[in-house]
Amino acid sequence: MKPPEVLLKSSGLGSRIPSDPVHADDRLKRKLTGDRLVMRVVMVVFVGAVIWAWRHIEMSFSGLIAGFGDVQNLLGRMLPPRFSDLDDAIRLGFETLWMAVIGTTIAVILSFPIALGAARNTTPHPAVMAICRGIIVLSRAVPDLIFAAIFVRAIGIGVLPGVIALGLHSIGMVGKLFADAIEQTDKTPREAVTSVGASKWQAITTSVIPQAMPSFISTILYRLDINLRSSSVLGIVGAGGIGFLMQANLRSLQYDEALGVVAVIFVLITIMEFFSAAVRATLLGGDRTLVGRSAPRLSLGAKLFARFSSRSKSNDVGVRPFNHETVRPPWVGDLRMKTIYGMAFVALIIIAFRSVSLNPGELFGALPDVWRVITRLFPPDYTTARSSIIDGMIESVAAALVATFMGALLSVPLGFMAARNVAFNRFVYGLSRLFLVLVRGIPELIIAVIFIAAIGLGPVPGTLALAFGTSGFLAKLIADAVEEINPTPREATFAVGATKTQEIATSVVPQAMPAIISNLLYALDINLRTSTILGIVGGGGIGFILFNALRVLELQTVGAVLITIFGVVYSIELLSGWVRKKIL
Amino acid sequence: MTQPLPDNVVQVSGLSKKFPNGPLALDHVSLTVPKGQLLSLIGLSGSGKSTLLRHLNGLIPPTTGSVEVLGTDVVAAGRRELRALRRDVGFVFQSFGLVGRLTALENVLSGALGRLHGPRFGTLMYPKALRREALENLDRVGLGDRAFQRADTLSGGQQQRVAIARTLMQRPRLLLADEPVASLDPESSAQVMDVLFRIVVEDQLTVICTLHQVELALGWAQRIVGLRDGQVVLDRAVDNLDQDAVMDVYRRVEPGQSAMSGALMASTTTPRVA
Repeated sequence: MKPPEVLLKSSGLGSRIPSDPVHADDRLKRKLTGDRLVMRVVMVVFVGAVIWAWRHIEMSFSGLIAGFGDVQNLLGRMLPPRFSDLDDAIRLGFETLWMAVIGTTIAVILSFPIALGAARNTTPHPAVMAICRGIIVLSRAVPDLIFAAIFVRAIGIGVLPGVIALGLHSIGMVGKLFADAIEQTDKTPREAVTSVGASKWQAITTSVIPQAMPSFISTILYRLDINLRSSSVLGIVGAGGIGFLMQANLRSLQYDEALGVVAVIFVLITIMEFFSAAVRATLLGGDRTLVGRSAPRLSLGAKLFARFSSRSKSNDVGVRPFNHETVRPPWVGDLRMKTIYGMAFVALIIIAFRSVSLNPGELFGALPDVWRVITRLFPPDYTTARSSIIDGMIESVAAALVATFMGALLSVPLGFMAARNVAFNRFVYGLSRLFLVLVRGIPELIIAVIFIAAIGLGPVPGTLALAFGTSGFLAKLIADAVEEINPTPREATFAVGATKTQEIATSVVPQAMPAIISNLLYALDINLRTSTILGIVGGGGIGFILFNALRVLELQTVGAVLITIFGVVYSIELLSGWVRKKIL
Repeated sequence: MTQPLPDNVVQVSGLSKKFPNGPLALDHVSLTVPKGQLLSLIGLSGSGKSTLLRHLNGLIPPTTGSVEVLGTDVVAAGRRELRALRRDVGFVFQSFGLVGRLTALENVLSGALGRLHGPRFGTLMYPKALRREALENLDRVGLGDRAFQRADTLSGGQQQRVAIARTLMQRPRLLLADEPVASLDPESSAQVMDVLFRIVVEDQLTVICTLHQVELALGWAQRIVGLRDGQVVLDRAVDNLDQDAVMDVYRRVEPGQSAMSGALMASTTTPRVA
C-alpha cells in the first residue's frame, strides 16, 4: 500500500487554515452590489404599491369574506344550471368558435408583412421597422374588447366588428412573436443562399421563412386558443358570439340559465385547449419550447394525434423510393401529415366564413368605416373628463396590482402542488391540475360578470375576479416551470438528510424563482390590460368612462382614454421587462 | 456521532436491483468495507456503479438483498432513520448538484440541513455558528474568498469543490463519490482529487469512489472493486493488482476495442500516475 503522504503534494488547497474569528464575521457579510440594491428597491416599491392599491380600492378582509358569502349565495341560485335554450347556446358557441378562427386568420395575414418589416434581419428600412414595431405595440396595448366596443359604434352590432377587433388586437402578439422567430433564425443558410446570387427576398423565402415556420405554427395555434376566450366575451358589447346570451340571462335574473351558458363556454374552451395543444404536439414533435408551455405531456390527445404524425424511420421521406422521372417528393410521412393539416385549416376557415355568413369582401367594405371612426378619435380631448380619466386609470392600476398580488398568493402554493415532481402525492397533484383546468376554462371577464352580479358594482368584485383568473393561469405557468427544474441539486439535498420541506425550500424554490417572478410580471401586464375593460361590465376602473363616452359618441374623449391606457400599459410593460432582465 | 463505529462501515450482501423496463442493474452484489478504507469502484458506464452507490444511502431501494451502512439496515430503515443515516454519509455527485442561482456559501450551508429542523430560505436563516463553519469549510477547499459568488459563475472544478465543502458540513463518517471528476478537465480533476484526498486523510474518512479513469483509481485507492453488467468481477487490494485484471473489467460482451482504448486514453490524461 502506498503511503498517503506521497500523494499529498502541496497545492495549498485542502489544508486546515486556522481561521481568524474576528475577520470571519466581516467575511460573512455579503457586499451590497448595485444590482442587489436595485432588486431590493424594486421589491419594496412593489410591496408598497400593493399596500397603497389595497387601500385605494377599499379592499378588506371582512369585505372578502362577505364577498365570498355573496358569491356562494349567487351560486346557490345558479345551481342546478338550466339548458332550456341549449340549441341557441350551441349555435352561438359555434359562432364564437368561427369568430375566433376568422379573427386569427385576419391577424395572421396582417401580421406576416408587419413581422417581416419589424424583424431586424428582414426589414427593408429602419423607418419601416419603427413603424411596424409601433403598430405591434399599439395593437397589443389596446384590449380587443375596447376595439370591439369602438367598432360596434362604427359598423353596427354583429360578428363583423368582433372579428375585426380580434384581428387587430392579435397583431400585437402574433406580429411580435413572428418577428422574434424571424430574428432568431440561423443566418448562415441565408448567407449561403445569397452567395449563390439570390436576391434579398429570394433568400428570405428560401432560408428564413422555413426556419421560422414551426414557431409561426405554434404561435398561430396558441393565439387561436386565446382568441376563443376573447370571442366568448365580445358579445357583452354586442360584437357577436355567446357572451351576449350570458349577459342577457343575467340581466333578466335567470341565473340558472346563465350558468348553463357558462357551462357551454367552459366546454368549448376546454376542448379547444386540448385540441390546439395536441395539434401543436403532433406538428412540432417533441420540441417543448415551440410546443408551448400548455402542451400536454402523455395526454390522451397527444397519443391520438401521434397516429398521424408517424415520425418513425420507415416513414422518413428521405429513405422512401421516388419517381426519378418526375423527381417529386414521395407522398408519405411528414409531408402527407402537413398537407392534410394545411387543407383542414383552409377548410376550417372557409366553413367559418360561411357559417357566420360573412363575405370576405364585407371585411374590406368595413375598412372605410373603421378608418373613419379611428380618425375621429383624434385629436384626443381631455377637457371634458380629465379628472375622471385619471381617477379611472389609477383605479385600474390599483385593481391590477391587488389582483396580481392575491393571485400570486393563491397560485404559488397551488403551482407547487400541481407540479408532478414536487406534489405531495398523486391525489393532490390530480386535484390541483383539475382545479387549474376548471379555472382556466372560464374567461376572467365572465367570472367578473358573475362576481359583479353577486357582490354589486365596483372595483372589489372586478379585482376578485381578476385575482381568481390570475391564480388559474399563473399557477399553471409556475407548475410547468417547477416541473422543468434540474433534479440533481434536489438529489444532493436529499443526500445530506434533508426533509422534503427543507429540500423544497433549499433547492426547488431558488431554482423556480426566476420563472415565478417573470411570470408574476407577465401576470401584472395582462391584469393591467384586463382591468382597463372591467369597467365595461361594472367592475370599476377606466373602462367605465370609456364605455360611457362611446355611448354618447364623444369619440375624442375615447381617444384621450385610449392614449392614457396605452401610455400606462406600455410604461408598465417596459418597467417589467427591465426588472425581468435584471433578474434572469 | 457519539456511538462507536462498527468495524465494517458498509456491509452489502446479495444485492440485486431491477429497474422497471430495464435490465438487471445489480446482480447479487456482496461487498464489505472496513472502517477507514479507500475503495474505488471501476467499470464501464451502465455497469451499475452509480446504482450501487445510491443504494448505500437509500436514494434507491433494492429489489432483493440487504444493505447495512454505519450499523443501519438501509432496506428496513424508516424515513427518519434514513435521514439520520444520510446525515452521516457524504455524497459527491458527478454533476455537482449545486443550485446555480444561490451563492457558494448558501450551497455549502444546505449540507447542514440534516442537523436542522424546518425549511431555510436564504443564508440569514442559518445560525451564525453554522455560517462560520460553512466559511471554514469553503476555506478548506480553497474557495473562502468566493463565498458570495453565485455557484453558476464558478468553474466546474470550483463547483465540485463547493460540493465537497457542502459534504463537509455534514461532518460525514462515510464519503460516497460518484464520478467526482468525470465532467472536469485534467487540471481541475487533479485539483479536486487533491482536495478530496487531503480531507479524507485528515478526517480519517471511509471512502467509496466510482471512477472511470483507471490510473486515477490506482493512484488513489487502497482497494479496487470492478463491476461489469451489475456483477462484481474484480475485488483486490491495489498492491497486488496487475493491468490485465483491471482491463478485464472493461471487456465488453461483444468484442470491441473502443471501451478499452477509451479507458487507456482517460488514464493518460491524469497526472496522478503512480
